[in-house]
Amino acid sequence: MERKEIQDWINEVRKTDILVGIPSFNNGRTIGHVVRAVQAGLAKYFPNKKAVLVNSDGGSSDGTMDVVRNTVIEDYSSLLVTNQTEPMFRLATHYHGSPGKGSAFRTIFEIADALDAKACAVVDSDLRSITPEWIELLVKPVLSEQFDYVTPLYHRHKYDGTITNSIIYPLTRSLYGKRVRQPIGGDFGFSGDLARMYLSKDVWGTDVARYGIDIWMTTTAIAGNYRICQAFLGAKIHDPKDPGADLSAMLFQVVGATLDLMETYRETWKTVSGSGPVPVFGFEYAVGLEPVAFDLERMKDRFRLGVRELMGIWEAFLPGEVTAFLNDVCERRDVFHIPDEIWVRIIYCFAIAAHKQIMSKEHLLKSLTPLYIGKTASFVEETLESDARDVEEKIDRLCTAFEENKHLIVENWN
Amino acid sequence: MNFYERLIDEPIKGFLDRIVDFLPNILTAILILIFGLAAGWLTKVILRKILVVLKLDRLAEKVGFRRILVKGGLHEPLSSLLAKITGGFIVLAFLVVALGTLNIEVIHRLIERLFNYLPSIFFASVIISIGYVLGNFLGRATLIAAVNAGISMARFIGNGVKYLILFISISIALEQLGIGRDTVLISYAVVLSGFVLALAIAFGLGGRDSAKDFIERKLKGEERKNNINHL
Repeated sequence: MERKEIQDWINEVRKTDILVGIPSFNNGRTIGHVVRAVQAGLAKYFPNKKAVLVNSDGGSSDGTMDVVRNTVIEDYSSLLVTNQTEPMFRLATHYHGSPGKGSAFRTIFEIADALDAKACAVVDSDLRSITPEWIELLVKPVLSEQFDYVTPLYHRHKYDGTITNSIIYPLTRSLYGKRVRQPIGGDFGFSGDLARMYLSKDVWGTDVARYGIDIWMTTTAIAGNYRICQAFLGAKIHDPKDPGADLSAMLFQVVGATLDLMETYRETWKTVSGSGPVPVFGFEYAVGLEPVAFDLERMKDRFRLGVRELMGIWEAFLPGEVTAFLNDVCERRDVFHIPDEIWVRIIYCFAIAAHKQIMSKEHLLKSLTPLYIGKTASFVEETLESDARDVEEKIDRLCTAFEENKHLIVENWN
Repeated sequence: MNFYERLIDEPIKGFLDRIVDFLPNILTAILILIFGLAAGWLTKVILRKILVVLKLDRLAEKVGFRRILVKGGLHEPLSSLLAKITGGFIVLAFLVVALGTLNIEVIHRLIERLFNYLPSIFFASVIISIGYVLGNFLGRATLIAAVNAGISMARFIGNGVKYLILFISISIALEQLGIGRDTVLISYAVVLSGFVLALAIAFGLGGRDSAKDFIERKLKGEERKNNINHL
């Protein structure tokens, strides 16, 4: 769809109460379910609100946009929806700019701004577990409770989201003082005002446009003192990711985006100490989760290989006690344990090294991979018999260690 | 003149006369060289201080030049690097003048050729410097990628890439200097083909079982034992 056609469509719709955005790229197999869930959610929970669905696509070749255009719910009565009064408008369009989720979101923000949307939500296009209730939970806190930003809260397997659990959540929490459990969850709700603020930022030519959008949205909302809450969405099950996806590239992108934001908001995080809770909406319930397979010995071997081969790189910025400890763990065959305090120091030292540009940031953060695998292996070994509550308490203790040692990063930043 | 005078006495006398004539030149050359060393050292120290006062290092950091040096493994501040290079050039200039005072035709010709040769030396140094920076950068990238891929010979591969790039840059620099063009080309071909042959033999013989094992595991899907979702 060309720009003029989009403008014509906007002129036709004119204004909206709710906008739901779905970024996509070759998600033809799964996006139909997501569109149906959004339609049902809007019809069921916001029957009197004007709503639009915007699919911002990265040039799919599998007919993703056709699926979006043609997916309809034939029988609303089966969903117990009888009083739908406002029609739902939909738009499927290619976004412009660098390929990536951030550019897709930019188009969604632009349309939200043009339609003067009051509340918006974005959901991933590969979700298999999305239900109509997700739309209610992501939109209602904005419409009814005047929150500006709604982050998701999922029940996940204890070994699911390990970068989030061991780095992104503890680091974001200790830096900015808000306990946002899934800062890079991918499914968010936000106000029209916040969408306009995002749009006004000059980041759309940077890595934010390509891969750092999730942490950028969350951090920008926290640092801007916007009202934030969390919505319990249940289980998050999505299409399996490409098994060949490079872990080190993923780590570089996610951690790199978080560290870039530390530069932007250095004056904000330096003054924060401790952390506070963030309100949660939704009815929490236990869910059955798909098992996660892992090869613990292989993970330990990857860690040992990294310690043997990359120590020369790490020695330039890791303190002597940490490198000695890592060598010791590498040598020992009886116990494999990386304590929280050591992990905190490692992450803070990597952050400072990236800030001081002691080497290429890509090399630096990719060299973190074996240490991350080691920490994950240590976490797996310690929690083999633990249930979800124990694991959550353990993650909370890690966050406390990040908070208690925050002075290390504040003192060594300059 | 008898036989002894013609064969022994005369040449020795002539030789001693020439040494006596030449001695002041040698002493002058040594003095100039000592002075040059002192001037080089002094220039290095003073220039370093001036550049620090002028905040050159901060400027280099701002414009991203420092990052390029660091990426290439040069951790020394730019001010120190420039001071050392300038000091070195001053020592070199004094060395040339010192050699000139010796008043030897051969050395005169050599100096003349050296001056004609200077542009080539400069470009060769630039090529080697780029090769050094690039070699370090790509060597480190390869080492990290190999470690993350779980390859136990990661350091060997990383060093291989680093030294290969350094070797190529030295070959190009030598060609720029016009030194043994054919020799460099032949040795380059020999080393490269030898390297490839060594790799082929190493992987073909030494890694036969590992390759078989790897392919089997791939076909059976055992490589995907870890399905932890990291994000």
